[in-house]
Amino acid sequence: MKFGGTSLGDGERIKNAARLVKEYVENNEVIVVCSAMAEVTDTLFMLVDKASRGRVRDVEITLNNLSEKHFRAIDEAIVDEAVKRDVKSIIKDLIEDLRRAVLSILYLREATPRSRDYVVSFGERLSTRIMWGALTELNVNCKYLDGGDAGIITDSNFGEANPLMEVTKLEVRRRIGSLLDRGITPIVTGYIAVNEEGVITTLGRGGSDYTATILGYCLDVDEVWLWSDVDGLMTADPKIVKNARVLPTVSFNEAIEMAIFGAKGLHPRALEPAMKSNIKVRIKNTFNPSHLGTLITSKPEKSDMIVKAVLLVKDVAMISVRGASMVGRPGTVAKILETLARENINVMMISQSVSESSVSIVIKRDALTRALNRLETALLGTGLVEDIESEDDVNVIAVVGEGMRGTPGVASKVFGAVAKRGINIRMIAQGSSELNISFVVKEEDGSEAVKAIHEEYGL
Amino acid sequence: MLRILLAGFGVVGRSLAEILVERSEELRRGEGLNIRIIGIIDSGGAAVYERGLNLEEMIKTKKKSGSVSHHDDYGRPGLNVLDLLDELEVDVLVDATPTNLSNGEPSYTYIRKALASRIHVVTVNKGPLALALPALKELAKHKDVIFRFSGSVGGGLPVIEFARQCARGDEIIKIEGVLNGTTNYIISRMEDGLEFEAALQEAQERGYAEKDPSLDIRGLDTAAKLVILANEVLGIKATINDVHIKGIEELRKKEIDEAIRSGETYRLIGRVDSGLEVKPTRIKREDPLAVRYSMNAVSFTTMNSGVHVILGRGAGGRETATAILRDLIEIKKKLVEVKV
Repeated sequence: MKFGGTSLGDGERIKNAARLVKEYVENNEVIVVCSAMAEVTDTLFMLVDKASRGRVRDVEITLNNLSEKHFRAIDEAIVDEAVKRDVKSIIKDLIEDLRRAVLSILYLREATPRSRDYVVSFGERLSTRIMWGALTELNVNCKYLDGGDAGIITDSNFGEANPLMEVTKLEVRRRIGSLLDRGITPIVTGYIAVNEEGVITTLGRGGSDYTATILGYCLDVDEVWLWSDVDGLMTADPKIVKNARVLPTVSFNEAIEMAIFGAKGLHPRALEPAMKSNIKVRIKNTFNPSHLGTLITSKPEKSDMIVKAVLLVKDVAMISVRGASMVGRPGTVAKILETLARENINVMMISQSVSESSVSIVIKRDALTRALNRLETALLGTGLVEDIESEDDVNVIAVVGEGMRGTPGVASKVFGAVAKRGINIRMIAQGSSELNISFVVKEEDGSEAVKAIHEEYGL
Repeated sequence: MLRILLAGFGVVGRSLAEILVERSEELRRGEGLNIRIIGIIDSGGAAVYERGLNLEEMIKTKKKSGSVSHHDDYGRPGLNVLDLLDELEVDVLVDATPTNLSNGEPSYTYIRKALASRIHVVTVNKGPLALALPALKELAKHKDVIFRFSGSVGGGLPVIEFARQCARGDEIIKIEGVLNGTTNYIISRMEDGLEFEAALQEAQERGYAEKDPSLDIRGLDTAAKLVILANEVLGIKATINDVHIKGIEELRKKEIDEAIRSGETYRLIGRVDSGLEVKPTRIKREDPLAVRYSMNAVSFTTMNSGVHVILGRGAGGRETATAILRDLIEIKKKLVEVKV
């Protein structure tokens, strides 16, 4: 069971999470994974930034706030005086370590990826200790472990480390396995690990969810539960579609598509270990624990739902590259993509007509200026390209569902629904896996298009 | 020149030293292999000399006093492998420590430390391989160092290389083998008419079986070798926990006699195809796997080119030491490739 930051937002919530663990510990072997308390990780990143720029007073204030936040949480989460005293003394020592680390950055005015990982790791290290106190008070026999102590070993790519899966599997089985055998519930820090030399690293994208699925993979668990503040994956953003509802089951492929297109709080990378070993992943809400949530499995129940979800991707921009002389000239697309790759800009969508006279791509909006500058320099004036145009007031709509595979007429139904509302479609892409259809509309039409498709498929 | 740390100075370690004494000049001329053993560690401690230990003296000291650490000039009592990996500049760790199949220690820790410090490793210890081969290979790849263990299966028999040859342009779909000399000796003697206990005692007297023969008898040694083959040859990421194991402790002379009457016999066979299994298996007497006494035999069934069998004496200090040498030559070749 992994608990997200919001679910550990304050002392009361930590207590609530501990109660949920207690409920399941009786009849199951449970491994608890904790994120940092809400906003703490962001604060720590900010702290490193401020320290490296020599902002002494800001650093002091932030450190004190962090300390206060955690001590307040202890007071709220734990009643028993003896346990409280223990946890407070552990937290005090940790905060002192954190202070020293930040001060050294402050003196050197230099933050390396390595020192950043070290500082950021304190978020999870603090929250697990408080969770340990809350569970101890509920008479759960438990032990807290940092990611490295749990056996998660990564390479030295600080900030976005990759686990050495086989080494990790062996170590996790040795360490966590022996705790479970003795009836002890392990509480593991999410997001953080160590490299081969024992230096703290962080997992980056996917964070604590990734920790949970890695542990699940290593220990061959029955299910991974990701507790957060949403009931599950939804058919659409409830802010756009009022009657959007929670999907009871989705496949890994669908979940990955939905995660890529920004379904809340899920990163595709985090699903990989579970998918590889066929472990079910359940998304549940600590604020509504009786709700069944969404189950992600490799074999979802047969469903007659062709489309599972309609997602709106905001903050994107479209670039079109046109020119008659591109026709029949191999390598034009390669050149465009290469140029963007060199700028480290991710291409989200790409579409080219068979006449080859124009190519459209979609990228993140904040990268638009950089992308345009690069492309113009690289392509205009080569005679290859006539013009490069961009639109920054667009949205991508992604329609996701495994049922679309081999079902004729999906496209006509989707686009028909959109057309009926008088919305013009600017660009279309569908991979041959037929798992998702994505298209671009003007920003002002985005919400309307989502509603239209949601309604058409009766989601 | 390869600077080598030799962990373990038992039968295999000493045999390696002997071969190096006899053949060092040949190896240097013939293979370009110039070996300098800069540290030897046994249970009593270490002997260290960075310009290369005199191996004849080391063998003498070990025989006389039980540990190389008692050597007058170079003995360093109490030091262990981890200390020396820190202290010395080592190119290759040669691990010839005794096998521990329950947790692979201390060999596992030595190998991990060496790989993490970018030191190449040659091991003949089956413990860490049976329990953690996928992890150690991953680590070696990650650290870009060479990790070799051809002496761990079949002793001097080049089983793994043979398998690679069989698989070239083809695919191996099944491996079966008689991988343990001790149990095969016992079964062969039972065929000759001895009872199990008598055969075991004779194997011990002749030095085939250890004082505690249970790893052999219970099939664990066979299972460990099977795991290594499964990983290396078939790419199955298995550990010894994945093997169904049945030893020969319940095999009775009566059963063997009964089999012989119908032209068959038993062998303790390890098998990998869809799963991994070790058990006494009834086979035809003319089956190539029905080798006698302390011989080993491994057969590789391929998709298209039929069945290939390799036979030979598996265990033995000299044989295993030769496999270590083979790995060292391989490492030397690879290092030269990288430099050019």
